Formats: sequence, structure tokens, C-alpha cells
Amino acid sequence: MVRETLEVDVLIVGGGPAGLSAALRLSQLQEQQGGEPLSIAVLEKAREAGAHILSGAILDPSALRDLIPDFREKGAPLVADVHDEDVYVLTQSGKLPLPIIPPPLKNHGNSIISLNLFVRWLTTQVEAAGIDFFTGFSGQDILMDGARVVGVRTGDRGIGKHGEQKATFEPGVDILAKVTIFCDGVRGNLTKELMRRLPLGHHAEPPQFALGLKELWEIPSNRLESGTVIHTLGYPLRHEEFGGGFIYAMPDGQVSLGFVVGLDYKDPLFDPHMAFNRFKQHPFVSKLLEGGHMIRYGAKALPEGGWNTIPQVFMDGGLIAGDAGGYMNSMRLKGIHLAMRTGMLAAETAFEAVRKGDTSLATMKTYQDRIDNSSVKAELYPVRNVHQAFGYGLLPGLAFAGLSVVTKGWLPEDLHGHPGHERMKTLAWYYGSTQFAPTAASNATTIDRRLTFDKLTNVHYSGTSHDEDQPPHLLVHTDVCSSICGPEYGHPCVRFCPANVYEIIQDPDGTPRLQINASNCVHCKTCDIMDPYQVITWVPPEGGGGPQYNGM
Amino acid sequence: MILVIAEQREGKLNRATWESVAAAQQLAGTTQQLAGGMPITIAVLGAGTGGVAQELASAVVSEVLVAEHPALDPYTPDAYAAACRALIESTSPTFVLLPHTYQTRDFAPLLAARLRKPLLTDVTGIVGTGADATFTRPMFQGKLAAQVKPQGGPPALVTMQIGALRADAALKGGSAAVRKVDVQIDSSSIRQKPEAPFREAKQAVDLAQAERIVAVGRGIKSQDNIPLAEKLAKAMDAEVAASRPICDNGWLPMERQIGSSGQTVAPKLYVALGISGAIQHLVGMKGARTIVAINKDAEAPIFEVADYGIVGDLFEIAPALIAELEKK
Repeated sequence: MVRETLEVDVLIVGGGPAGLSAALRLSQLQEQQGGEPLSIAVLEKAREAGAHILSGAILDPSALRDLIPDFREKGAPLVADVHDEDVYVLTQSGKLPLPIIPPPLKNHGNSIISLNLFVRWLTTQVEAAGIDFFTGFSGQDILMDGARVVGVRTGDRGIGKHGEQKATFEPGVDILAKVTIFCDGVRGNLTKELMRRLPLGHHAEPPQFALGLKELWEIPSNRLESGTVIHTLGYPLRHEEFGGGFIYAMPDGQVSLGFVVGLDYKDPLFDPHMAFNRFKQHPFVSKLLEGGHMIRYGAKALPEGGWNTIPQVFMDGGLIAGDAGGYMNSMRLKGIHLAMRTGMLAAETAFEAVRKGDTSLATMKTYQDRIDNSSVKAELYPVRNVHQAFGYGLLPGLAFAGLSVVTKGWLPEDLHGHPGHERMKTLAWYYGSTQFAPTAASNATTIDRRLTFDKLTNVHYSGTSHDEDQPPHLLVHTDVCSSICGPEYGHPCVRFCPANVYEIIQDPDGTPRLQINASNCVHCKTCDIMDPYQVITWVPPEGGGGPQYNGM
Repeated sequence: MILVIAEQREGKLNRATWESVAAAQQLAGTTQQLAGGMPITIAVLGAGTGGVAQELASAVVSEVLVAEHPALDPYTPDAYAAACRALIESTSPTFVLLPHTYQTRDFAPLLAARLRKPLLTDVTGIVGTGADATFTRPMFQGKLAAQVKPQGGPPALVTMQIGALRADAALKGGSAAVRKVDVQIDSSSIRQKPEAPFREAKQAVDLAQAERIVAVGRGIKSQDNIPLAEKLAKAMDAEVAASRPICDNGWLPMERQIGSSGQTVAPKLYVALGISGAIQHLVGMKGARTIVAINKDAEAPIFEVADYGIVGDLFEIAPALIAELEKK
């Protein structure tokens, strides 16, 4: 088999805020400094720009202002400026407003955006700069020469369900680059592989994740003023679960509504999607949504761990930026500006290295210096222990977060976290009995398909589609499913997956068998993160497949 | 004038053309008496179109044009776009209607771009008649229906969703004149070189053409029970189809899958055996005229779209249906 190869100076894997900011910054440096033009390529697994992008979202425009100073004139789609905000603690049927908005949650000067529209707009800026933006191509493998990253191999196309080559078969392309910038997002498949091959995570705390679920609703347009931002804590989560809800109002009655759940919950029968449904059933939320209708759905994991969980983000021939590295401020619930900023700093590092003709580890290390001297560290370092403090429960977490603001994060010794999947308890531990066969989530609620939805219906509204005739892109050691997982954890994949990918079917002899509905996958990465045995590996499906988050 | 572009292959008319004829008649305000309304012309393109034009001449329309050219067989988007463009420029229609088939999806965008005229795709309904009519088309995967009015015509190109109108709603009983027209196609402008159709495609069932369908879902329980559905289908002279899990398990081939990741169908009769009716399945079959659902779960969403619902065990009901059907 002959593989095509393509040689570029800088390869950027992932067309999100980090990757696009890196690409644009490279072209700006090129323009400012002249010289032999750099060849730059951006890979994006979605069929079109922004299709796999999901966020709340509120944008802190600081990085955007530095990258594109005239962003307003250039038509950046900032949907509404935040002008009114509230934080509530929900009880089962009531709500208590927080008397003051905690400073990290103050959003004055920030804007509500659709990250999908924002990324599509950023793409037009990148394409106008003449950069090759390849949509529909996933990064499947890392090409290495010893400890040096030399490029990425894209996924094959036209492989049938049983691994056979179809008439449309096309082998993936080897893209060789002097510098590869990995911007493959939260739990990126290539970054995960990098961490396995190189000792990048050895000095970092275990990464922490959450799962964000979001719906776009249309409600009567006079109900919630555009620019209103509401965050909630408490119900339907218990003291032991981390997370909360968000409601962002946009013009014409459009509302972004979502719920974030820490992927470190203890109850093996807990279902994050049910928590989202229960959130919508809370009288405060259901009254807002009454008479409206849901038009879009999506789900995506978030890196919550903060500064101490960020791995070494530089290596010989490679850099990591954005969510792939874990650059998110979980206290401010923001990461887009950090993704953009790290993308820009990665671009500056790569540009200098290529110009110097030295892309070795020693040169790439200057990326870390750039980050340490930037607003990224200034913002993340003081709150480095906050997420870990929530591991002790909601109230200790809140108290600690408050204290961090006062002390600017000083602590004699940093807190340690545990990988989220290790915190999940067995049925025997949590329920004190091994004698029952769980059939439903512990937080199950009624599904009316108007306010609350089953996962399969929700998936339809994510616009997800994959060619059915391809091998499953979720690699699972299914022996575990048929043997120990049922009695130990009651098949938690069925519940933590927000897209009905995993189903347990009883074979005629009563043996549970895992059915993987891979074509439902919304690429959120939760299964790869939360499975207690760590036997699920998410690999990219054929390029172009996945959700279609138009307007999300 | 409204121009309908018919679709045929090897002298066999695609049934969806009649749906576009029905749409054209509605848009024109045609009545059985031919009184008033905009005139309608049907164009048949190809090489060796056989009796297709005569078949269409039975519709209540003004004229059927036959444009035959060797370059039109086998189909290529460049040749079709060139031929349609010539026809449109010589007849100056107000609207051009096409069935939203795979072939139309292939060449209609090119045609619209060449003409620099608006293209409304996947239209499900027409409000009003004549030049002021507005068109309904789905947005957000069918969640919203938008009313659109083309600008920048005439003509406006309109493709009709399969099953949006019924083929038998087309008014017939006319005897339109059939006229041959010459089209010039510069063969050097055809960039595509079609190869022989895939063998798979030859064997493949075109469920969109089926008048009756028996579809099975997870309620069938095991591959061993598929013959029961096949027997029912045979007794009804129907095609067998399935929901996603059945095809995913390999119990039936993928080309028989109905739904958002399979085919969209609009048969006269759709019998759903043990199908719960997830929205992914419903979007592929809700255009069926009569839906019969057999499911043991009375709460199953399939009953929300079914015209006739039987809450019960399909393993009792299907054999009883077969026995009744075979009596005849």
C-alpha cells in the first residue's frame, strides 16, 4: 500500500479555538517578519469547521483582543454582552440567590457566544490568511522518530464494518512537520497517546474532568432578557457530586441551557443525563422553558483539574495547546480565552523554532517559559487547588474557593486529587448489597419528550451521523462487560454515556453482552475518561463523522 | 409556465416524478378541467426514454418535451445540467420542479449555479399558487418548517421531498402533446466519466420505490425470527426493512435500514413490527400514508404516529395476519 506524504513546516491538529488561534498567529508572524513563507496545515475531523465544537459559552475577549484587535469590525459573532447575572443555590423546589456574585463568576465585559459560530468565523479569518484547513481528516496516529514527534498520520477512509477495504478505500496520509501542535481538545486521542509514549504527565496531578450537557432552546422572547447569565449550584446534585447548571439568554428567545457534572461521582448508578433532565424539571427552570422547545443537543467533557494537572506541554518537535493540555479555569468556568492564548504562544514558539532551524526539545521548552510569563499562569496558578478542594464536597469546596480569592491561592502544600474513575464505588460499597441487579439510574426521572428527553431522542438533535459501515471507533475489552462489570458496577457506561452508545443486551442464555451503537457517538470522550476499569479507548471514526453542532 | 424535469433510467420512470407533477399542478392551480392556472410542461431527458413520455402525457399538463441525446446516457451531472439549462433557457419557465432524488441532488446545485438562479431544496409543501406562492422546507433536521419565497428568479428551481406529496394525487386523464426537442451538448464539456454501476447497486433494493413495507425492530428478538417478517411481507407483496439495531446486528443488510442513518421512505402502507419508534426511525418513515404498528409496549412512541396500533405480541399477531392474507 502506498501512502501519500505531505511535508509542512507546522502542522496543527484540531480546528478549535486553540488550533485556529495558532494558525492565525503564525500567519501574522509571517507577515510581520517576512522571509520564506511557512507552510502550515490544520487538520479537523469534523466535516465542516466548528461542527464538533461545543461550549456554554461565555467568552472572555482578552486573547481575542490581542489576536484580532479589530474583531468587532471584522464581524466576530459575539451574540450578547453580559449585563445581568445571578448565582442560585437550588433546593428540590426552591432557590436561594447568593447575596453577592463571587468575583470569579463576574462576567462584566464578557460576551455570550455560540462557540460553533465563533469558530466558523475564526476559520474564515484563517482561510483568508491563505492557510490550508483540511476538514474531514482525523489525526489517527503520531509519527515519531525515537522521542521526536515528526508528524501525524490521518485516518484511513473506506474501511468496512469488519475491517475489510471497501471500493472507496483510501489510505490515510502521512503529514510530516517540523513542529506539530496538538490541539485535539479535551482527552484528545493523540495527546493521550503522546502521554503514553513520552513521560509528559509524570510530575502532574491526575487530570480531572467533568461532563457538560447542553441544549439550545427557543422560548417566548420576552421571558428572559438577552445577556442574562444564570448559574446554579445544588439540586439535583448531592453534596458528594460536583457540578451545576447554566442558563445564558440570547436575542430572539434563544437560550443556551446546560448542566455540568464532575466525572468523579461515587454512585455507580448515577446518570449525568438524568441530572440534566432533573435540572430542567426544577420549577425555576421548567417555568422558564414552558411553551418553548428544544432545538439542539450536545455533550462534551471539560478539563477541570487546573494548573497542577497540566502535563509537560512541550517535546522534541511538538507542543500541546488548549483543552488538550487542560488549560481551563474551572473556577471562572472559562477556557476559550486560555485555549486561544496557549495556541498563540505555541505559534510563537513554533515560528521561532522553524526560523532557527532548531525544533529540538531545548527550543520547544521556551513555550513553557512563555506560558509562565503570560496571563495564563497568572490566572490559573492562584486557583490551582480549587477543583481538588471540591473533592471534599460542595461546601468545603465553596469555602476553599472563597478563601483562595482572599489569599490569592497561598497554601503551604498543594492538594492532591484522584483520577475521577477511581472514585466511583462498587455497588457493594455504595449500596451495601451485591444481591440486586440494577435496572435503572438511581436518579431516574420521568421522560415526557417535551421538557425531558431520553438519550436517543437527544442524540437526534445533536445532528450526529456516521457512516454505519465502518469498524466501531470505541475499542472496548468486552470480556469485562460480560463478566465482572455487572455485579461490581452495574454497567455504568450505559448511564455515563450521554448519547446511548452503550447498551447491555441479555443474550438468550442470560449473559449480558455489550452492544456498541458507535454511530450515536457525539465525541464527548466521557467513556474514555470515566469507565472504572479503563477498558474503553476512543479512537477517531472515519473523518467527517460526528455531531453537527450548528449554532451551539 | 412551470417546467417539471422527469427522472427516468433505461426507459423506466422514477415514481417520484409523479409527486413533482402533483406539486406542479398544485402550484399552477390546475383543475381537472384544465381551466385557468399556469401551463405545465414536463421534460424527459435521456437517450432511449422509451414510453416514459407517453406515460407522462396522461397527466393534466400542456405538453411533454422529449430531449434525447447520446450524451445523456449514462447519466452525468455535466450533461444533465447542460441539457436542463438549454431547456430552461428556451422555455423560460417561472418555476422548475424536480423530485429530490439522489440524481437531482447531484446536478441541481450545478444547474442553479450555472443559471445563477435560486434553488429551494427538499420542499415539503406549497402555499398559494402562481408566481406569489411560498414554499415550505425543513430546517434543523425537520424540527422547524420554514416558509420561503425565492428571490432572484425566474425561474426558481424547486426540488420536492420524496413523499411530501402523493404520486396518485397527480391529476390524470389528459392527453398532452408529446414533442421532441433538440438539445446541443458539447461532449468535451462533460468532465465525469461514469463507470459501470456497482454490482451492489444492481442488487440493492430501492425501498423508496416500494409501495408496501414490513419493517422489523428489536421486538423481533432474534435473527431466527426474521423469516416471520419475510413471510408477512410476501403475503402482502411488500419489501422487508428494519430499524437500525437489526441491521447493526447483521440480521438484515444495511441497505434495508430505514431512518436517519438509512433510507427515507413514503410507501402506501408501512407495518412496524416490534419497532419502538425512536425519532431516528420516525424521520425515515413518517411520510408513509398508512402506518400500522404492532408493539407490546403501549407507551412506545411509534403509536404516536401510527394510524392503526395493535398493542400485543407480534409473535401472535403476525402469524394471524399471514393466515388471513393467505386466505385470499
